[in-house]
Amino acid sequence: MLVADGLVRRFGELTAVDGVSFRIGRGETYGLLGPNGAGKTTTINMVAGLIAADEGTVTIAGERMDPSSVAPKRHIGLVPQDLAIYPELTARENLTLFGRLQGMTGPGLRKRVDEVIELIGLTERAKDLSKEFSGGMKRRLNIGIGLLHQPTLLILDEPTVGVDPQSRNQILESVERLSIEGMAVLYTTHYMEEAERLCDRVGIIDSGKLQAEGSQDELIRLTEGADHIRLAGSGDTNAAADTLRALPAVQQVVADRHSLQLTVTDAPTAVAEIVTSATAAGMTLADVEITRPDLESVFLHLTGKALRD
Amino acid sequence: MRELWTMTQYDLRQRIRDKSLIIFSIIVPLALMFVLDLVLGDLTNPQLQPTTVAASVPAGDQLGAALVDVVRSLDGVEGMDITVRDAAADEVHDLTRDGRVQIGLIVPEGFSTALQQGKATDVTVVSGEGTGIEQSIVTSVVESTVNRFSAGALAAEAGAQSGLAPAELAAIGQEVATAESTITLAQGTASNEQLSPTGALVAGQAGLFLLFTVGFGVTALVAEREQGTLARLKSMPMPSWTIVTAKALVSFILGVVATAILLTLGGRLFNVNFGSPVAVGVLIVAAVVAATSLMFVIVRVARTAEQANIAQSIIALVLGIAGGAFFTITASGWVGTVMDLNPVSAFIRGLGITSGGGGLGDIGTPLLILLGFTVVVLVIARLIPDRGAAQ
Repeated sequence: MLVADGLVRRFGELTAVDGVSFRIGRGETYGLLGPNGAGKTTTINMVAGLIAADEGTVTIAGERMDPSSVAPKRHIGLVPQDLAIYPELTARENLTLFGRLQGMTGPGLRKRVDEVIELIGLTERAKDLSKEFSGGMKRRLNIGIGLLHQPTLLILDEPTVGVDPQSRNQILESVERLSIEGMAVLYTTHYMEEAERLCDRVGIIDSGKLQAEGSQDELIRLTEGADHIRLAGSGDTNAAADTLRALPAVQQVVADRHSLQLTVTDAPTAVAEIVTSATAAGMTLADVEITRPDLESVFLHLTGKALRD
Repeated sequence: MRELWTMTQYDLRQRIRDKSLIIFSIIVPLALMFVLDLVLGDLTNPQLQPTTVAASVPAGDQLGAALVDVVRSLDGVEGMDITVRDAAADEVHDLTRDGRVQIGLIVPEGFSTALQQGKATDVTVVSGEGTGIEQSIVTSVVESTVNRFSAGALAAEAGAQSGLAPAELAAIGQEVATAESTITLAQGTASNEQLSPTGALVAGQAGLFLLFTVGFGVTALVAEREQGTLARLKSMPMPSWTIVTAKALVSFILGVVATAILLTLGGRLFNVNFGSPVAVGVLIVAAVVAATSLMFVIVRVARTAEQANIAQSIIALVLGIAGGAFFTITASGWVGTVMDLNPVSAFIRGLGITSGGGGLGDIGTPLLILLGFTVVVLVIARLIPDRGAAQ
């Protein structure tokens, strides 16, 4: 469905995307997981034909995509990170406008608009101006516009940013349903749990480069031999981190004000020495947790950084 | 084309719902016309006040009496209200100082004799409190009348030196003093390009606010870039030029409709006739196209909607003021030439021509200025880097 091959995009001296390649098949949900500024949105913009790639190609349903393309854009539904809706139009008018721009007309358009309004839960508010909507309702309308013409590839750029937990859950359920219905989905997020819940395959992106990709199991296997320990407490976490890095079993340490995340070899054997050393370094521990490797662990393992806002 | 019309249609719907369009494009300019007419009306369209002239003429001085008759004849001309009362020479200053008369006129003893002999003589005009343009008019009339009397005397003297008979000399003197002027003033024709002060105010405000109205279309591109809808539009299966063209079309429609409403309403409210509807319509279209072209430069330069609004306001006010939206600015040399190339002044100039009776064939120069402005500005917009898209 989608083939992105060797995408490069520079903004002056900055290389925002550096040789990113991935593929998405029909009915597959692919997640681009990375922190803010990793290059996710720039990648999406090239895939959706909003900006040109300096190098590399994007092919959608066998057709080459670039900003001047028309035909491949019929296959995609874009849900931008910003609320790309017109505040002075009603929900129905917003949907009808973009439906017409997608080439839909007449009773078919009206029927589909009704379906989408129901799908996004705005039946009661369909005739209200969208500027009067809550943030979550606007987000749902934003997604509804992307779904309207039943694209074969739905591109969602961080669709849950700034959304309340209830609306967030509704959005995730919608994406799961679409995937089941056979729609290919490209989903960018910096929330590990969203990628774990939704994505068949995940590409981990950082500093414009795709660090690794695969199913969750495949990615977690990359961390084989590396366990994860989390120490929570108070005291000088930076000093404790420096002490712990000197231990032979410790591969990586990421510190914040109240916790340390460690990648270690053979956690059950090493944990006693780690706790002793952290305490000796002045940290008062409140909690020690040996966790199962997850995408967070993978990101930490691959980049040496925590995946956070 | 279908996508173009769809975007234009929905954009217009939003602009109409957004009350700021009607406020800034129709209500504010009409209100400003009223306010400016009240404030500047007396300056640009002065009302002449009733004026009494105290005239002192020596007994039996025929030319002096004729001079006063000329002043008296001003009563009723072009709204003047002049009353002449006789007074002794030593009374005149007191009368004007006390405010009992507004102007004093003192013809000296031997005035006629001095003129006939070609000798120097003084006629005194005394101004009272609060006199303005009325005193200037009386002074000008007295001056020109005395000059004509002098010219007659000089002609008679020249005839005498040529040996003409006294009867012929008298006839020559009479002829020179009373002949009709060979120079006449024409009333507003198509060639004079002058609007009445109120007409200039209505046309100027329409031209100025046109520069704001067209911004509701094209500069909305900057706002859409910020709010994300531009990205969504670009992801639609249509050529990207249709997006920009739709915005330009919105600007054009809003500009034409708003300007036509302003000129029609303004014309009716202030009793101004702008002349041929066809010629005025063509002028409006040309002015709207020129104003819209300017918005493309703003869109290329501005990174945010706020920057676009500021740039638009600055450009509109500079062009509006320099173009005569509030009051006429005259300049000569290259400054004058540059100011003539201003679309607002070209628009006002064109309306001056149509208002004076000119038709399509007479507005070629302002149309060429507007067209040339459009072409130059569009080339500039094409050449300068798009700062917003470069983000």
